[in-house]
Amino acid sequence: MLLIECPWCGPRAETEFSYGGEAGIFRPADPHALSDAEWADYLFYRSNPRGTHRELWNHAQGCRRWFGVERDTVSYRIKRTYCLSGASGGQPDGSAGGLEAGSGKRR
Amino acid sequence: MAAAQPNRLPRGGRIDRSRPLAFSFDGKALEGFAGDTLASALLAGGVSVLGRSFKLRRPRGIVGSGAEEPNAIMQIGEGATAQPNPPATQVPLHDGLTARSTRGWPGVRFDLGAVNGALGRMLGAGFYYKTFMWPRSWWKHYEHAIRKSAGFGRVPEGPDPDRYEHMNAHCDVLVAGGGPAGLMAALVAARSGARVILADEQNEFGGSLLASGARIDAAPASDWAAAAVVELRETQDCVLLPSSTVFGYHDHNFLTIAERCGPQGRGVRERLWRVRAKQVVLAQGSLERPLVFCNNDRPGVMLASAVSTYIQRYGVLPGRRAVVFTNNDSAYQAAINLAVAGAEVAAIVDSRAGGGGELAAGAQSLGIPVLKGHVVSDVAGRRRVAGARIARWEGRSWGTVKSTTRIDCDLVAVSGGWSPAVHLHSQAGGQLAWDPSKLCFLPAKARQANVSAGAGNGKWRLGECLADGLRAGVEALSEAGLKTAAVRAPDASADAEEKMIEPLWRVPAAKDADRCPMQFIDLQNDTTVADIRLAAREGYRNVEHVKRYTALGFGTDQGKLGNINGMAVLADTLGKPIADVGTTTFRPAYTPVSFGVCAGESTGPLYDPVRTSAIHEWHEAAGAPMETVGQWHRPWYFPQDGEDIQAAVARECLAVRNSLGVMDASTLGKIDARGPDALEFLERIYTHDVARMKVGRCAYGMMLGEDGMVMDDGVMARTAERGFYLTTTTGGAAAVLEWMEKWLQTEWPELEVYLTSLTDHYSTIAVAGPNSRKLLEKLGCDTPLDRERFAFMAMKPAVLAGMRVALFRVSFSGELAFEINIDSRHALDMWRTLMEAGKEFCITPYGTETMHVLRAEKGFIIAGQDTDGSVTPVDLGMKWLLSKEKDFLGKRSLERPDCLRDDRKQWVGLLAGDGRTVLPEGTQLVGDSGEAAPMCGHVTSSYFSACLGHPIALALVAGGRRRRGETIYAALPGRKPLPAQIVPPVFYDPKGKRQHV
Amino acid sequence: MSESAPPAGIAIRVRSARGFINLRLNPRNRQALEAAERVLGQQAPLSANTFTGGEHNLYWLGPDEWLIATGAQRASELARELAEALKDFHAAVNDVSGGNVELLVSGANASMVLAKGCPLDLHPRAFAPGQCAQTGLGRAAVLLAAVDPSTYAIVVRRSFARYLRRWLENADSAGVPFRAAGKRQQAGYRSSP
Ligand SMILES: [Zn+2]
Repeated sequence: MLLIECPWCGPRAETEFSYGGEAGIFRPADPHALSDAEWADYLFYRSNPRGTHRELWNHAQGCRRWFGVERDTVSYRIKRTYCLSGASGGQPDGSAGGLEAGSGKRR
Repeated sequence: MAAAQPNRLPRGGRIDRSRPLAFSFDGKALEGFAGDTLASALLAGGVSVLGRSFKLRRPRGIVGSGAEEPNAIMQIGEGATAQPNPPATQVPLHDGLTARSTRGWPGVRFDLGAVNGALGRMLGAGFYYKTFMWPRSWWKHYEHAIRKSAGFGRVPEGPDPDRYEHMNAHCDVLVAGGGPAGLMAALVAARSGARVILADEQNEFGGSLLASGARIDAAPASDWAAAAVVELRETQDCVLLPSSTVFGYHDHNFLTIAERCGPQGRGVRERLWRVRAKQVVLAQGSLERPLVFCNNDRPGVMLASAVSTYIQRYGVLPGRRAVVFTNNDSAYQAAINLAVAGAEVAAIVDSRAGGGGELAAGAQSLGIPVLKGHVVSDVAGRRRVAGARIARWEGRSWGTVKSTTRIDCDLVAVSGGWSPAVHLHSQAGGQLAWDPSKLCFLPAKARQANVSAGAGNGKWRLGECLADGLRAGVEALSEAGLKTAAVRAPDASADAEEKMIEPLWRVPAAKDADRCPMQFIDLQNDTTVADIRLAAREGYRNVEHVKRYTALGFGTDQGKLGNINGMAVLADTLGKPIADVGTTTFRPAYTPVSFGVCAGESTGPLYDPVRTSAIHEWHEAAGAPMETVGQWHRPWYFPQDGEDIQAAVARECLAVRNSLGVMDASTLGKIDARGPDALEFLERIYTHDVARMKVGRCAYGMMLGEDGMVMDDGVMARTAERGFYLTTTTGGAAAVLEWMEKWLQTEWPELEVYLTSLTDHYSTIAVAGPNSRKLLEKLGCDTPLDRERFAFMAMKPAVLAGMRVALFRVSFSGELAFEINIDSRHALDMWRTLMEAGKEFCITPYGTETMHVLRAEKGFIIAGQDTDGSVTPVDLGMKWLLSKEKDFLGKRSLERPDCLRDDRKQWVGLLAGDGRTVLPEGTQLVGDSGEAAPMCGHVTSSYFSACLGHPIALALVAGGRRRRGETIYAALPGRKPLPAQIVPPVFYDPKGKRQHV
Repeated sequence: MSESAPPAGIAIRVRSARGFINLRLNPRNRQALEAAERVLGQQAPLSANTFTGGEHNLYWLGPDEWLIATGAQRASELARELAEALKDFHAAVNDVSGGNVELLVSGANASMVLAKGCPLDLHPRAFAPGQCAQTGLGRAAVLLAAVDPSTYAIVVRRSFARYLRRWLENADSAGVPFRAAGKRQQAGYRSSP
């Protein structure tokens, strides 16, 4: 069972989280401008790397925040976890917020 | 007592002779002492044959003294609390224990299957693959015979009445193994103030020290162990777990420990510890290897270390006249222990030409003859060793032996060297390295936060072992970022000077390796040298493949004794170094774990949470059977006067259609969505034009996955310019909220929207039927309810019967209906008020079944029942729900070629041709009545409609909409295909007039 | 079972007449935060996994989410006041009094009973009074708060409350692996501060 560091709540057992697939899959700004092949690429194809994988996790039983995880798919070691946006800064000085825009800026 | 325990020594051992315990084995009454294991008590009682081997039916006795035991697999207890398959070496004796042999039907002494022994030659490697796979249709016969005659323990009869539980724990340092190294590591960690868990599979800490004559700090080693345990027990934040096997090393330093809490039937029988450790010290010791020679499976051939353990720890003498056979020095200690305990040691047979070191001198000083450069090539005796055949060792494993001499004996104590128990290190992903001088795999680079110590790290000698435990403890502390207390390793009595072990992987026999009497590698699976050679001849090169072909290492003991010998024989056969052959993958569990402890307390009513609505107690009191929907228990129907489900549902349906029904719809998911961008967000989420909704209006909303498939649906209402109240299906509530948050947080963080679950806060009561308005008016409502001022699909906050509610004029039945949303604390009050006031309209509570019938009559879908993740709104005939003016999730996918196929399965109504058969949901539909007609769809919903007087069904049928009026066929088991007509999916009030009144 | 273990001896009781409000706002919006705090008369905790006491208990649920636990009578009025004070800000105030149940679990063995079903480290150094966490207990999601070294408050969704109570009673009835009394080892699970 993984130990995942929620960027907001700290390290918690995997059972508190749900998995959200590969990170950095951006929704195309205008889906209808895409060919069927391009749309299928967005919809179905994922990188499935051996090694570092950027993925989304949700602290479902905790703070309900989605965040990014860099996990090694061979060793399962988690290199780091990171906030996806600065929309909600947890600390008054913003130190825990606004860290990284994970996805979806193009719309 | 002496008569009952013929092999019990007059004194010695860590048993309590003042507490005799009665037990039975295969119905025979026996006696042992407190502190015995079942194995030691059986040996004390002179029981030498404990079972028959799995495949060849050969008699087998006890070989080891711990988790490695391959033969003495028992059935403990009777009935529901019976425990199949623990090794007798790991069962603490208790009064009244009943044990049975698991192998050897119909009995150990009289064994029909022994006939197979003669056929053994035919039951070689791959036998199962080769024989039982063909002809396939015979497998059921084979299986029956194999299970009956071979099988291990029997499944307990009835549910296990005992209690099991889980316990989560966290620590700085988990020490697995409480022998000298583990105790030392635990001591330094505890003295440094770390949070420590020390687990050992034995009921007493000390490991090898408990059966050792060595001295530590000038006292008996077992005293040192006892003092260490006392100190640890008194240290804050130090948890001691005896009788606890660390059986799994999972990701991120998460380990699982099975604690055997005590004799069954008292308190918690077993406890599963789920431990997250910052650092782990692996000190599980090492396992002695047997030697490979002809008939090395005969009862009376035992590990030398086990012989020592039975003598020293349990005061049991396993034989009267022994031959000790070894390729290393450690077995000399067993010889000395045997001699001191009064047995005759006929000879120590040492394959090494130079013989042993200091211990050898000690043995010789006791007058024990030592045969250097010799091996035991065969043993005589069938149900018990009667003699050993001794041959000269030429240093070559293959070839043959020329001449042998026989030494009579009833015990052959063997030692082929030691293998560190690297299982947990390997489970954690650590590497192994072959040590060519110690002749074993040692733990190499660790992949997780763990360090190996002691004999498990190849430090066999006591002084080294203690120092290594200390080193490991210090390393773990420093890795955990903790300060280390100054601790010195205690002085151990000087270990005897040793001579190096020499390789001896297989003893040659009088005939060549494929014709000689069987030489066993894996006793539990009856895997022999010849089997491994056969596998190699047949082209198996990879050790993992050989394992599967020969079953090497597959038993409950997981090859703890046989694996290394098997790999060495394979390496020899392939002409490769052992290091190149490598080991098979180690996986949890290290030793078998009961299903009971895996399940813990999650059984019976606690198997899964049961969620109930705020009105649940009323439903229970009304005697409603419950339907499980997700985790919810919802009233299914409300039977009156012994009604069956059909009668009750018919009555409930007619009541709603004709007068008034009431249903608890509280389980629907409810979400408050608000913020400046709530509208924009919901436009992207829902398929309809949300912007057209005025405040106070409701809409039926559908959400699609990005693949265009229906995900969830429900009524949503605009409560304010920037506020919405969304409902989801009962089962979809949590997933929908999480999915919406995902879009908000990961894709559109610029949208300012807050989503809050109100599922539990609000209870929902649906009041449906032509008299529903009258009922609410009768109760007193502060808002007018007439058609003009409270139109269909309107929503208003109101005070109803003096209670604050949100009223929705929506209908899932097609009748005039209202949904009352009310603070759950008042829901039961409201329900009772409705029931009381509704009497004059014959108000009828209805359950989920009636709800289903009513909505099916109207052709309303249930997401998850009529859809299955492969259905688009177009397939459902709900194109009207799709906005043309905006993009929404999944819209683009609806234009994918696959979604545009005109032969997609489409949702239609279906009427059984005979007018009376309720087609089972899931029924396959075929195009014609022929025998091999292709399938063209399936039934998704099907009920008897009391209101219409005939059954109705909804189905997904390929190209269904353009096939209206056609007849297709329902494939029913055991019946001729039943014709059914495709019709529109709305059976009742197709214009929808009734809900608008 | 011929003989059963002594129970762990914890007390489980429902805290009656409690009201709850879910509050969402971005604390970086100082004006909004201060407006809310003025109504509440106390500060909202900004450190993760903590709660503040006072007239109300304010639990940190997430970087922009709090649960306010207060008297049942006060809750609806407070929710209205908060909504009014925050009407010009991006904020959400939801009275969720009907959706939650608060349990108090206390006794020397309380943390060990909770540890049977909670993956959190409940050691007093890791989860001290004043700390709270949303986590799992048994198979339910809960908000768990350390009130004092031997008392925990548990806020659970109403529909799970029956189950959770049953789970707690079962865990209590199975006893604990070692008793608090007479054994300092106990401190591994429960503080001797
Ligand atoms: Zn979190």
